[in-house]
Amino acid sequence: MTTVALVGGEVTARSRRVRNRFTWGLAAVALCLLVAPLVWLLAGVVDQAVGGWQWSALTEVTTGIGGGLANTIAGTFVLLLGVAIVAGGVGVAFGIYLADVARPGRFTGLLQAASEVLSGVPSIVFGYVGYVALVVGLHWGFSLLPAVLVLSMLVVPYVAKATETSLSRVSTGYREGAEALGMSRTHMLRRVLLKAAAPGILTGLIIALAISVGETAPLLYTAGFSNSYPTTHLLHAPVPYLTYATWTFWNQPGQQVKNLAYDSSVLLVTIVLLLILLARLLARWSQRYAPDTGRGTRRKERGGGAPRRGPTGRGPGGRGPGGGGPGWGGPDGTGGPGVLGPSGSGVGAQGPGAARQAAGSDGAGPGVAATELERPEAAAPPELARLVGAGQ
Amino acid sequence: MEPTQRPGTGGATSGAAVAEAPTLSSREFTVGFGAATIMSDVTVAFPSGSVTALVGPSGSGKTTYLRSLNRMNDKVRNFWRKGEIRLGDQEIHGREVDPLVLRRRVGMVFQRPNPFPMSIQDNIVAGVRAHRMAKRNELRDIAETRLAEVGLWSAVSDRLNDSPFRLSGGQQQLLCLARALAVEPEVLLLDEPTSSLDPRSTEAVEELIGRLTPRLTVVIVTHNLAQARRVSDYTMFFQDGRLVETGRTEELFERPKSPETARYLGAELATAPRS
Repeated sequence: MTTVALVGGEVTARSRRVRNRFTWGLAAVALCLLVAPLVWLLAGVVDQAVGGWQWSALTEVTTGIGGGLANTIAGTFVLLLGVAIVAGGVGVAFGIYLADVARPGRFTGLLQAASEVLSGVPSIVFGYVGYVALVVGLHWGFSLLPAVLVLSMLVVPYVAKATETSLSRVSTGYREGAEALGMSRTHMLRRVLLKAAAPGILTGLIIALAISVGETAPLLYTAGFSNSYPTTHLLHAPVPYLTYATWTFWNQPGQQVKNLAYDSSVLLVTIVLLLILLARLLARWSQRYAPDTGRGTRRKERGGGAPRRGPTGRGPGGRGPGGGGPGWGGPDGTGGPGVLGPSGSGVGAQGPGAARQAAGSDGAGPGVAATELERPEAAAPPELARLVGAGQ
Repeated sequence: MEPTQRPGTGGATSGAAVAEAPTLSSREFTVGFGAATIMSDVTVAFPSGSVTALVGPSGSGKTTYLRSLNRMNDKVRNFWRKGEIRLGDQEIHGREVDPLVLRRRVGMVFQRPNPFPMSIQDNIVAGVRAHRMAKRNELRDIAETRLAEVGLWSAVSDRLNDSPFRLSGGQQQLLCLARALAVEPEVLLLDEPTSSLDPRSTEAVEELIGRLTPRLTVVIVTHNLAQARRVSDYTMFFQDGRLVETGRTEELFERPKSPETARYLGAELATAPRS
């Protein structure tokens, strides 16, 4: 009996080794497919820009035939600030509503569906609608407010989704503890739940900002463009922004203008990278009181090779992104390949490979289980976390 | 499923002299979820200022009953109840009763330590803040007092601003007890508070429970009969969703009246590693 088992074991071990190697091989290929385009993209952009890079690009304003990009950089940051306020406020509020206030039912389902549709609408359509309704319809003209509103509409679903997911993953232990102390619902939300969900929410917000940095079409329709610095006027004052330079200058006559197109690309990529870095730092900072599942040990574990952080390890059960793709994935399993997760449409510009890969592998995993106190809340939704590398 | 109805060890028999804590009592109390009845017809009083242990096999409904005592089940889906629960002479389901105030007066500590994701000091005063029980500049003192009360002060005095999750499991549970005590409850409900702790931490928690009476009325659900015997003045034995027997702990353990109790205690004590 024992002998048989041992012999059988050896045979199985051999075939298991073969299968392991095969799987690892596939994974390595996939990794290359993921990394290669990124390296290629970065190298290409930098290469183009380095040739004609001028530091004056950072200090001078655009002239239409040359000059610098200073006004577009400023404009981009002004837009970012606006989106952070509007999309951040609305998105977080919406996410709180979905996770903590709304009862599952037809109305909630409708809201979630609406949010999904919103995130699936091509950005140029947002731009067009913004143009017709705000710029022309309300006579706002090309200006900051319509631009911020349209960009915010575009990214609110991401913030809402991140907020909802993070909140619904907050361990029931926190909720029970707060309830048992007689905390009111709002107090519990403010002082306990949002704190626990902060890393995920912050990550979602920064992803939203990264997306809006890269948007061009909606801004063409709403922000207009100007060769001067952005003003404090919300209406009737066009706003310059970086993607415009990339989009317009690359085929203009004159090398100096062409160079500005490359410079703006580099600056865009740089801003996105900085945002991602910021997301990581903020996520880590906001976790300073979180249960320590061993940042160090996990690193070490991963150093061994397997980048395993599947939803199995941390999923709260229920409706984490592991549940069935990053969609809203209702309890009835209607989630399917959700439109809403960053893997869906929008992120394209920033890092489609990463997002899609992440979402794919998560969706495949058995998104169940894990004990309630396993602190899933501390992590950003996996697909977001992976994109930004935040969470832990 | 024949409902058992037994006279509680009423407030009058509570031996504890300093009976400032109010008596918690339930009368023909029945709870369930949806079609299922979890616990039926419990009529009993928890003598004030003493420790009462709820024991019985898993699934007997102890925890559900315990959670009913401070209305933690209210929001659970399909939860329903019949009968009354009184704190002092107030029916806790009464319209004039604010469940938030009730839970401040009837605190609860859970099976697994659940510190909040905030500093140690903020954890202790979280409830104090929620109920606006103290001024800002008093919070640190409150934290110190409560930490000292649970015997944690020397261990954490120099790291009040650290994460509570760096503490050991036992220390975390003591922290949760300190947090619950900080809002000055009159009754403390403990749901298997030591089941996830090592023996030494268990001892610390048990020792603390002993010090809480007669100031507080303590109700503890435990699977550890030896623990029930060590810490409690009274014991209630539940089985199959009803209260089978109640009495002073030593009496119930030495001379159980009901054969069911005797059978359970006998079987459990025979297999238990320590007695």
